[in-house]
Amino acid sequence: MSAINFEGVTKRFGEAVAVQRLDLAIEKGEFFSLLGPSGCGKTTTLRMVAGFEQPSEGHIYLDGEPVETVPPYKRNVNTVFQSYALFEHLSVEDNVAFGLKRRKVASDEISKRVAEALELVELRGRGKAKPRELSGGQKQRVALARALVNRPSVLLLDEPLGALDLKLRKQMQVELKGIQREVGITFLYVTHDQEEALAMSDRIAVMEDGEVKQCGSPEEIYEQPSGPFVAGFIGVSNLLSGVVQNGGVRLPSGQTCLADVPRECAAGSEVHLSVRPEKIWLDELEEGMASVEGTIVERVYVGTTTQVIVELAPGMRVTALEQNTARARSDDRWQIGDRVRLGWHREHARVLR
Amino acid sequence: MSTVESRSASTAPPATGPEVRRAPAKRPKDFDRPRFLKVYMGLFFLLLFAPIALVVLFSFNSSRSLQDFQGFSLRWYETFFETESLRDSLVASLQIALVTMLIATILGTMLAYGLVRARTRLSSSFNVLMLVPLVTPEIVAGVSALLLFTQIGLDLSLTTIILAHITFSISYVTVVVRARLASINREVEDAAMDLGATRFQTFRLVTLPALWPAVLAAGLLVFALSFDDFVLSFFTTGESPQPLPVRIWTQIRFGVRPTINAIGTFMLVVSVVTIGLALLLPRLLGRRESGLKVLLGREGA
Repeated sequence: MSAINFEGVTKRFGEAVAVQRLDLAIEKGEFFSLLGPSGCGKTTTLRMVAGFEQPSEGHIYLDGEPVETVPPYKRNVNTVFQSYALFEHLSVEDNVAFGLKRRKVASDEISKRVAEALELVELRGRGKAKPRELSGGQKQRVALARALVNRPSVLLLDEPLGALDLKLRKQMQVELKGIQREVGITFLYVTHDQEEALAMSDRIAVMEDGEVKQCGSPEEIYEQPSGPFVAGFIGVSNLLSGVVQNGGVRLPSGQTCLADVPRECAAGSEVHLSVRPEKIWLDELEEGMASVEGTIVERVYVGTTTQVIVELAPGMRVTALEQNTARARSDDRWQIGDRVRLGWHREHARVLR
Repeated sequence: MSTVESRSASTAPPATGPEVRRAPAKRPKDFDRPRFLKVYMGLFFLLLFAPIALVVLFSFNSSRSLQDFQGFSLRWYETFFETESLRDSLVASLQIALVTMLIATILGTMLAYGLVRARTRLSSSFNVLMLVPLVTPEIVAGVSALLLFTQIGLDLSLTTIILAHITFSISYVTVVVRARLASINREVEDAAMDLGATRFQTFRLVTLPALWPAVLAAGLLVFALSFDDFVLSFFTTGESPQPLPVRIWTQIRFGVRPTINAIGTFMLVVSVVTIGLALLLPRLLGRRESGLKVLLGREGA
């Protein structure tokens, strides 16, 4: 039995369709992310699970039970909001105890569980503080403790790290994943940050315009994107448009790359060739690689790597990443204006319709 | 002045040293604060407060004269509190203000909550309609209230005054509370429901605690407005007891007596204290924002 089941869920606001015929099964104990740009329907999906919105069509099941008629305050799910949504007039302790008090848990049990929850998020000793005395990261932890203390069957997280600065966000990602593993609760995580989703999730559903474009493990999503949108949204991808031609893709520059063309792409049909920058080799290619030739137009040094931008034809550029390891320092290997051969192993290029 | 002198003395270059160009000892005034503004402000406040100050002063006069002050005395206050009809009027005014405050605050808060939280197509038109009582000339409101009460056969009494006062006070409460409510993050209410609070519990445990400085300020504002209202009270009052402002007006028709000054001063004190409470209470009870900001809708958001 899945923790959450969506069956043909559609949500319309007037004329606008926010979520389109969503079918998803989220398993117990899973860290599941809904990933997509703003306005793709991911937050609406989350709010439907929480009970703040009702589906226009279809059904949502929590632990196998349909929840259409269950109001938010009776659902066994809890939410961590993007704005934290802490109760400013209550202390940290009272914020965390809020849910337990509504459920009429005995008071000694409440204080025990509140203490545990604060321990879990490393806020022991700040129980008496008011939310406004806390930093952003601490507020986030209180919001997390306030939700987790109720031991919901699913925890919903709506871009909970969005308001934190980059460094703290990275740190919280690791902690959040650790906490999830520790408590074993199903996490449904909404984010527009693909790196965050890749780093934490067991599975990811990539959404665009209310539809799930691809659903799978981070590796699958990254290595085998199902279409141009997913390839472009997850990480950086070189998307080259071309035409299928005898066992490869013919680019507008006139060069033909060897590639595994899916059976449904007939010769002559228009496709995109997607190659990740870090999979591209520069010169010194191996036997059997697909390759193209171009001119280096830009080199961007970003610390651990150097981005080399190569123009195959006017307006047709490919980005390659060179690791700045101890052995190779790419900054003295190539100059702007050099002709180079770019190559990649066949399995690293995806032909997308 | 002394600090400026001592500083310029200490920073003066040694006599033997090379010639150093010194900064002028006196800094120029800020260009955006011309001095005549202070004079202008002084005149403004003089005009504003002088008449009131005179009333207060002559309420303590020992003679009947309204022109020259002959000595301090509390005799006019004694007359005020010893005259039964005046005392009744004072009690009536306080009753009216208190009941109006309670009912208008509750209704106005509910209206504000509905207008902000219920997302209906009607709420935008209600938002405008609600402002009508604020701009209706009070005399029109008074006449129409009188017509309404006589048509439905309601005898004029304290009840009719209270009804009329509530009608115009609701708008004030709603305007103040609505501004505050709009600044409360909706996710906080969602969070309460998410944690198991019903709608009513959410309002009681989360919305109201965040809202009450505005509710309190609005209530006290209504008290002050109702306490010294004349026009509406005049049209809707019964024979007796009449509220204090109407009572003063009736008395003045038979000649101005110094008791008026005492009553006026007393009313002034009540109003000032009420507004002062509205401004200070939220801060005294441990909130960061003062009631002034709440009333002006300048906090939050």
